[in-house]
Amino acid sequence: MMLPPSHPDQATKWENVILPPTKDLHKIDVYRQGGGYGALKKALAMKPEEVIEEVKRSNLRGRGGACFPTGLKWSFMPKAGTKAKYLCVNGDESEPGTFKDRQIFEFNPHLLIEGTLIACWAMGITAAYIYIRGEYGKWIRMLERALEDAYSNRLVGENILDSGFTTQIYIHKGAGAYICGEESSLMNSIEGDRGYPRVKPPFPAQVGLWGCPTTINNVETIANVPVIIERGAAWYAGVGSPKHPGPLLVGVSGHVNQPGVYEMPTGVPLLEIIHKWSGGVPGHKGIKAVIPGGSSTMVLRGEALEGVRMDADSLKAAGSSVGTAGLIVMDEDTDLIAVITRIAKFYYHESCGQCTPCREGTGWLWKLLTRFEAGEARMSDVALLMDVANNIEGNTICALGDAAAWPVQSMLRQFRDEFERRTVDRPDDAPVSA
Amino acid sequence: MPKVTIDGRTFDAPAGRTIIDIAAQNGIEIPHFCWHPKLTPAGNCRMCLVEVEKMPKLAIACMTTVADGMVVQTASEKVLNARHAVMEFLLINHPLDCPICDEAGECKLQDYAYKYSIGESRFEEDKVHKPKRVELGPNVLLDVERCIMCSRCVRFSDEIAHQPVLTFTQRGTHVVLTTFPDTQLDNRYSMNVIELCPVGALTSRDFRFKARVWEMSSTDSVCTGCARGCNTNVWVRNNEILRLTPRHNEEVNSYWMCDDGRLKTFKHVNAAERLSAPLVRKEGQLMETGWDEAIAKAVSELRLFRKNEIAALGSGFSSNEDNYLLQKFFRETVGTRLVDLVEHVVEGDQDDLLIRADKTPNTTGAREVGVRPGPAGEDLASILQGVRDGSIKALYVLEDDIAADPAVREVLGNLELLIVHAHQRNATTEFADIVFAASTFAERNGTFVNFQRHVQRFRPAVATQEQDRALDGFNMSRWDKFAAHNDRWGRGSRRDARPSWRILAALAVVYGVKYRYQTAEDVFREITERVPTFKGMSYLAVGSRGRTLAAAGTTAPAPVA
Ligand SMILES: Cc1cc2nc3c(=O)[nH]c(=O)nc-3n(C[C@H](O)[C@H](O)[C@H](O)COP(=O)(O)O)c2cc1C
Ligand code: SF4
Ligand code: SF4
Repeated sequence: MMLPPSHPDQATKWENVILPPTKDLHKIDVYRQGGGYGALKKALAMKPEEVIEEVKRSNLRGRGGACFPTGLKWSFMPKAGTKAKYLCVNGDESEPGTFKDRQIFEFNPHLLIEGTLIACWAMGITAAYIYIRGEYGKWIRMLERALEDAYSNRLVGENILDSGFTTQIYIHKGAGAYICGEESSLMNSIEGDRGYPRVKPPFPAQVGLWGCPTTINNVETIANVPVIIERGAAWYAGVGSPKHPGPLLVGVSGHVNQPGVYEMPTGVPLLEIIHKWSGGVPGHKGIKAVIPGGSSTMVLRGEALEGVRMDADSLKAAGSSVGTAGLIVMDEDTDLIAVITRIAKFYYHESCGQCTPCREGTGWLWKLLTRFEAGEARMSDVALLMDVANNIEGNTICALGDAAAWPVQSMLRQFRDEFERRTVDRPDDAPVSA
Repeated sequence: MPKVTIDGRTFDAPAGRTIIDIAAQNGIEIPHFCWHPKLTPAGNCRMCLVEVEKMPKLAIACMTTVADGMVVQTASEKVLNARHAVMEFLLINHPLDCPICDEAGECKLQDYAYKYSIGESRFEEDKVHKPKRVELGPNVLLDVERCIMCSRCVRFSDEIAHQPVLTFTQRGTHVVLTTFPDTQLDNRYSMNVIELCPVGALTSRDFRFKARVWEMSSTDSVCTGCARGCNTNVWVRNNEILRLTPRHNEEVNSYWMCDDGRLKTFKHVNAAERLSAPLVRKEGQLMETGWDEAIAKAVSELRLFRKNEIAALGSGFSSNEDNYLLQKFFRETVGTRLVDLVEHVVEGDQDDLLIRADKTPNTTGAREVGVRPGPAGEDLASILQGVRDGSIKALYVLEDDIAADPAVREVLGNLELLIVHAHQRNATTEFADIVFAASTFAERNGTFVNFQRHVQRFRPAVATQEQDRALDGFNMSRWDKFAAHNDRWGRGSRRDARPSWRILAALAVVYGVKYRYQTAEDVFREITERVPTFKGMSYLAVGSRGRTLAAAGTTAPAPVA
């Protein structure tokens, strides 16, 4: 029997800035009445370098999974040059456990459009693509409507707010591939090519979309930009954990009473998120495991959650990562073998098939795991499973290979006994299935 | 010059070059499937992972550019483990059908499985199944299960053949190579993807299932399809040519050849209708005779005419040696000035890659060794005019079916004597009085000169009655070597055909001149002595890569030791 982890007394106080509770905020008039597009005006009055400097000082780190410092990324873009430059806003959002960008499309689309425009101004970009997963049909239409309104209010397009600055925003609909969320694959997809990741280097800031300098940012990352400009980098840097500050959209799923997306400062303890923000575990059951940041991040044991916070450093120290802050909670009765088999199936299904270790390895992992699930694996398969995952990790073109390996590796490290219990005593040379 | 250290040895590393490039240039093999020196790198197979000091992960040698001071390990434990892993991954879904796969014996995957894998698989699950026997185009067949998705064929079609019709569909292990809707792989270079394919996924519809690789001998040769003279290998089993494949020569054809050259230039060698003895017309019929009789007959017939009633046509399909002896014999011994040849130019049928409008491999060489219009403009047109008006009564033709051209056929009936060298009966032999059974490019030694003035050698790959595979030093297959007397493949049928130069030399001897050539090389030696642009060359110097002729009027290149 698992000990129920201790409950924090109360939830951290936070007033939403990314998803404020304003009614009809998706309507441009409502958005503007509340000061919307004010940050854009402010930014257009600044020099582009000053905007980048401000974002650097805010310590904003990317919300797309890798926590890369956004200001630094922007500063990689060449200042001058004859080539066009592009911004891709990544709304492919296909990672299991991650569903937070959708809230922005639905409840605050103009914040995203405003952030996109500020980013374009900062980097001297005249065309931005917002790439949205095809399954988000409803949200694509919502963003399209918001964009039309922004165009008709002359906030996008020619001579924005009479500043002389011109930029276009295009919405690009994905066709249902997780891999198209990987930044280089996303660019190929926009170009009309097959969603195959590119070998790096060269990096997108040198050779990106149509061979031109390109920045790729997550939807939520971009949505933070107007907040930084409006309230100032100092304010922003003071929110939450200093090294990974700002408001964070945490998507909670699994065994909690109130699953959903919660906006909170970074650094909130995971147990607080589970018990205070998400209403605790149904039936007051113990927590067997959590996956803190979307299915690609390493699993943590329930007993090990004490003191672990939702930010890059704390989760790294705990042996995982913040990823996209998609917290998956599994109670004490969860069949983790079924969980990891399902996750492995996802990566098998989504591997683009370009490079050998991921193409072949993801299928092998899944096939092995189905044998564990069916109770037909041998003891030697436990080591084999680990070996296959290790052989994928670090040897592939893009991070999907790692993303497929990490959950399996961490599950094996944290819950090896569960795998061993699912094996049958069978000589090594006996056939796989009876 | 920046330096890079690979496996403890330090090399010059010009900026922008890749690790695999520098390693290859210095004789260090880094195994790879998707990389090819002539295609843009793809980095997908992961076989070339190497350890680079200060890099956190293994790096792909094919796309990692060298930097000054870089230290690379290509055989460290980490590298070997990754290589074993990649090999194991590649093999888990690969069909184990080597025993029936055309590629076996020349398969990169099979070779590497011996060289770079642990030799066993831990995979016990079901393999993925995919389409087999997919027709990609008229000449190429695809087995998707064997494909390792290296994309070499896709890149070749896009970048070299400029026919971007191949692509992948589906994802993961289900990826399928296919053609775009309503397209097929039917460009003139389509079959190059067969050798590019590191496995047996792409096979030749012409060669499929004809032979195991090790049953055939492979001989360096030159394609006779056009004036490019692509370097080739001639593959023979049971004394029969089964396929031609391109042989790398950067100066001539790179790694490629065209489908026509590959498919249309060797079938006649094997043809059942090949001549296997000289023919002499008796009572209106061409009848097989012995060589001595045919040669004596040819000489006595020729002697019936005055010098200026005799003309001779060389051939762009014959070797330099043949053409040289033809013009020598007719100019010096017979004494006519009427020597030329028929050109075979198909206007407009050429491209930027390989294909040339001149559809012979040697017109340049024939001209160079003296088959060209005489001092008073005695050329093909005047020869044909002479035949038409009856002033020319005897014509001697090397290997060329000149009557295929109706304008030529029209006048041949006027001749009193027509002697031809031919491989089989054709439109010209219909008119001939004497036909000498000539051996083909695949049955003799010789040289051609391509349109770039590059002298190139070809060697016998198919035995005739006058030469033996073992005694005459042909390349041999394992079957050839180990055949017992009663093994069929050790014999095969051998035709009684002779090289044109040897037939001409025999004529000269009967004519009373001493032509002391034992081998084609003897004739070539005389060419190098008498034709200035060939000066300094030898068969050895021409080698398997060829040598360029000196420009007319300049000093010839010095011979290579
Ligand atoms: C397989 C794979 C899928 C990804 N999917 C997404 C995605 O859906 N959305 C996203 O923002 N980033 C995704 N990423 C990360 C992007 O490559 C990229 O790092 C990110 O968009 C950068 O944005 P940021 O700097 O604002 O975080 C994915 C990465 C991989 C390897
Ligand atoms: S790691 Fe997987 S998803 Fe990424 S390029 Fe390779 S096969 Fe495709
Ligand atoms: S068919 Fe051959 S060349 Fe083409 S991708 Fe597959 S393995 Fe590579």
